[in-house]
Amino acid sequence: MRFTILDVAVMLGIIVPTAIITTYFLLRYRKTNTNAAYDPHWSHSNLIELIVWAIPLLTVAMLGYESYKGTYAVNPYDPRMIKTKTASAANPGSAPLNVDVITTDWQWLFVYPKQHIAVANELVIPRGTPVVFHMTSATVVNDFFIPNLAGMIDVMPGMRTKQVLVADKIGQYRGYSANFSGAGFSWMGFKTHVVSSAHFTHWIQSIQKFPRHMDYAQFNKFARPTTNIDGKTPAFSHVHARLFDQVIKGVLDGKVYTTRMPPPGAA
Amino acid sequence: MMVNVQGPWSPLLGRLSLGAIPDNPIIAGAFVFAAVLGAVILGYLTFGHKWGYLWREWLTTVDHKKIGVMYIIIGLVMLFRGFIDALMMRTQQVMACGPHSPGFLGAAHGYLLPYHFDQIYSAHGTIMILFAATPILVGLMNVVVPLQIGARDMAFPYLNALGLWLTAVGAALIMLSLFVGDFSHAGWVGLTPLTEIAYSPGVGVDYWMWAIQISSVGTTLGAANLIATIIKMRAPGMTWSRLPIFTWTALSTNIIALTSFPVLAVALGLLGADRYFGTHFFTAGLGGNLMLYSDLFWIWGHPEVYFVILPAFGMMSEIIPTFAEKPLFGYATMVAASFAIAGVSWSVWLHHFFTMGAGPQVNTFFSIATMVVGIPTGVKVFNWAFTVYRGRSRFDTPMLWAVGALFMLLLGGLTGMMLAMPPVNYSVHNSVFVVAHFHTMLMVVIYGIMGAVNFWFPKVFGFRLNEALGKRFFWFFTAGTIMVFIPMYTSGFMGMTRRLDYLSNPALLPFEIAEEIGIGFYVVSIYYFVRQLYVSIRDRATTRVGADAWGSARTLEWLTPSPVPFYNYAVTPRVHARDELVWRREQGLEGATVAHYEDIPMPKNTPVPLIIGAFALGLGFGLVWRIWWLTDVSLLAIIVTVIARSFVRDTDYMVKAGVVQETERRLRRNAPEGSREGEARGGIDMFRPHESNP
Ligand SMILES: [Cu+2]
Repeated sequence: MRFTILDVAVMLGIIVPTAIITTYFLLRYRKTNTNAAYDPHWSHSNLIELIVWAIPLLTVAMLGYESYKGTYAVNPYDPRMIKTKTASAANPGSAPLNVDVITTDWQWLFVYPKQHIAVANELVIPRGTPVVFHMTSATVVNDFFIPNLAGMIDVMPGMRTKQVLVADKIGQYRGYSANFSGAGFSWMGFKTHVVSSAHFTHWIQSIQKFPRHMDYAQFNKFARPTTNIDGKTPAFSHVHARLFDQVIKGVLDGKVYTTRMPPPGAA
Repeated sequence: MMVNVQGPWSPLLGRLSLGAIPDNPIIAGAFVFAAVLGAVILGYLTFGHKWGYLWREWLTTVDHKKIGVMYIIIGLVMLFRGFIDALMMRTQQVMACGPHSPGFLGAAHGYLLPYHFDQIYSAHGTIMILFAATPILVGLMNVVVPLQIGARDMAFPYLNALGLWLTAVGAALIMLSLFVGDFSHAGWVGLTPLTEIAYSPGVGVDYWMWAIQISSVGTTLGAANLIATIIKMRAPGMTWSRLPIFTWTALSTNIIALTSFPVLAVALGLLGADRYFGTHFFTAGLGGNLMLYSDLFWIWGHPEVYFVILPAFGMMSEIIPTFAEKPLFGYATMVAASFAIAGVSWSVWLHHFFTMGAGPQVNTFFSIATMVVGIPTGVKVFNWAFTVYRGRSRFDTPMLWAVGALFMLLLGGLTGMMLAMPPVNYSVHNSVFVVAHFHTMLMVVIYGIMGAVNFWFPKVFGFRLNEALGKRFFWFFTAGTIMVFIPMYTSGFMGMTRRLDYLSNPALLPFEIAEEIGIGFYVVSIYYFVRQLYVSIRDRATTRVGADAWGSARTLEWLTPSPVPFYNYAVTPRVHARDELVWRREQGLEGATVAHYEDIPMPKNTPVPLIIGAFALGLGFGLVWRIWWLTDVSLLAIIVTVIARSFVRDTDYMVKAGVVQETERRLRRNAPEGSREGEARGGIDMFRPHESNP
């Protein structure tokens, strides 16, 4: 956010005067204003050309430096990220929570590998604990995005990406895919609940009692193309701890979840 | 060898069957509209006995001006089609906002089924970039560049016609996809692996792929032609330091095209191999890598942005000095800036996937490279401002559009700098903020184009477009732009993702309604544009112009009579200054006529490019539907035609000096020289710089 404000401020500092000067020139030197000087040959001035190159050059140098700083500051692959994030959070020093994110056509599966549970289309995380997301897709590219908590990062089939976040406030946040992935894409939202640690432990235990289990075979059924119009959030217990790796291996071996061909002009 | 596809296949018709005709009331409506329009045109041609005229004067022509005009017509028709797509998208989003939004025509929300909506926005992007903006710009360059450098025609007139017809084939395939089969649903960028056969088993992606592939062959050939023309066909005295700015931007743009379109061809070729032969270049599994596609696509895709924007800069650089009645400020820097932009455009493509998880080193490099484009662009803006300084600005329609483009560029530059910063990009990438940004930049192109069309129209046709209606078109269009894109920036900042056919967040509804109203303004503006064309053509007898249609034009093309005769210049002009026309005016040479005429060799008309185009359409259609016999026959026919044409030696003819003299006299007599009093615009005699100096 800081970078946005800085960037906009610097750019407005240049663009607004430019717009004003241009408008002023256009109005002052209009044909009907016979008081304004007219110089039909003036087309060059070393001083002005120098200024004209210098202003954008300096602006870009400055914004470029800020961009460099900013890009390093939000790098999820930097181990110091977790430390800085934790330091700012309400609950310092807690061990990070791992969540595996797997997207299908067109659902989210959040696997908590240590807790052996998984929930589809709903994410629950404890407040003040750094959460490390490992992400992959079973089909096409999606984009993991929770506007108020985490920036966008692509979720790609057969590949791993990573995101880190610490949530400071209890509450409910909207999350969704930001990269078009097919017909069910518009319904690929998920609610993110940030809860207290006690609540989180309790929630884990309740899911662990759920009757539906999930292994790779079960996942292959789950991953069949589904448009989640009703916003269903099925949960699974006894989830295979290495499901994430199994999915990646399957994709690399050529496993696809084929989309049926819709009739022309229809869904 | 060949990949098995879902559904039935037959040797005669391939995948084509009656089931391929879409069963959808919206498409049925479009079909009725197209059929009626087609019938009216065919009826007019037949009963007006226009077929011969059409064949002789247009379909077989190799005249660069007529080819340019046909490019522009194709582009305008596709611009309209692309606009209808936009209208449908905005209407869908305003109807499908909020969980309780109703559904019509079987859709869950709104009136479009998701798969259909996805095709519409994919078609919108593909059409607007590749089949509207690109042909119009190529057309304008075709019309203007040879005139500006004092040439008789392009370096390769026959190749030029071929480029036109291949572009037309691409556009025709896209229009066909509307009524036979479907279109790609994977965005105009062709998101992999969504375009792979497993996720796009229909013919949509194939239509998209072959339409682009065939038309971009035409664009590549056209680029080679324009570069050759600018380098080799300049009139004596037209040194590099006297080359008009528009020609400079045309040169930089076509260098981009010549070097980047082959990359696109490779990317689409590999995708085609995946879809037809079952290779795995871009699949996720079996050794493929989808990032490779993003890389290849954007190595073309980003320079393509500058391919469309540089000519627009060139147009602004011609229009603003003409109506400020003053030379362009900083000629040398303007040229340098154009080439700097073209050069840097090659090193920024990765900003299209900052979010793919590349390391901060990579992202920082591309972030700064992207920002560097801002330097020459900023220089251009300042130079235009100083061009106006101490000038005498007149706000004729072309000037309005050019100034509008300048302000669009300021807004686009601001938001572009924001997107170039990865930390900001991580929160607005793939949101409609990005969509609003690149539409602002494309508006620079559209504003430039509209200015250029109004500016050069009298040169090509000999009469001016109606000013009052042109201004109304401008103001309604601008109102539409503001009403659509300001709300779009805002909702993008609020986190609205692009390409949504259903918006779960009801807070966005006010923005959607504002955008729909903006679309309404656009509809009104289109009405005024059509009316402007109609009224101008109806009243053409009263708005005829002389060689210099604006009375203050500066460059060489304004030396020939308007409309420009088919041989352009009766004798090749000698160039003395950067602003040749101003120089001649000041030397008192403006009305000078030629004393002695000579025979002129001109290229003959030929139907060969049209024939190759027809077979290319067969080739594309056969490939889309996997009708192998049609593919083979068409490909063979193209090869045979090309070889046969290469044996034709007799491609030129002589225009006799007497014919030239007669044509010149008739055209100059038609011009309203001396027929109007004291008005600044009109004939060349109206401009007296020394007398009117205060
Ligand atoms: Cu770009």
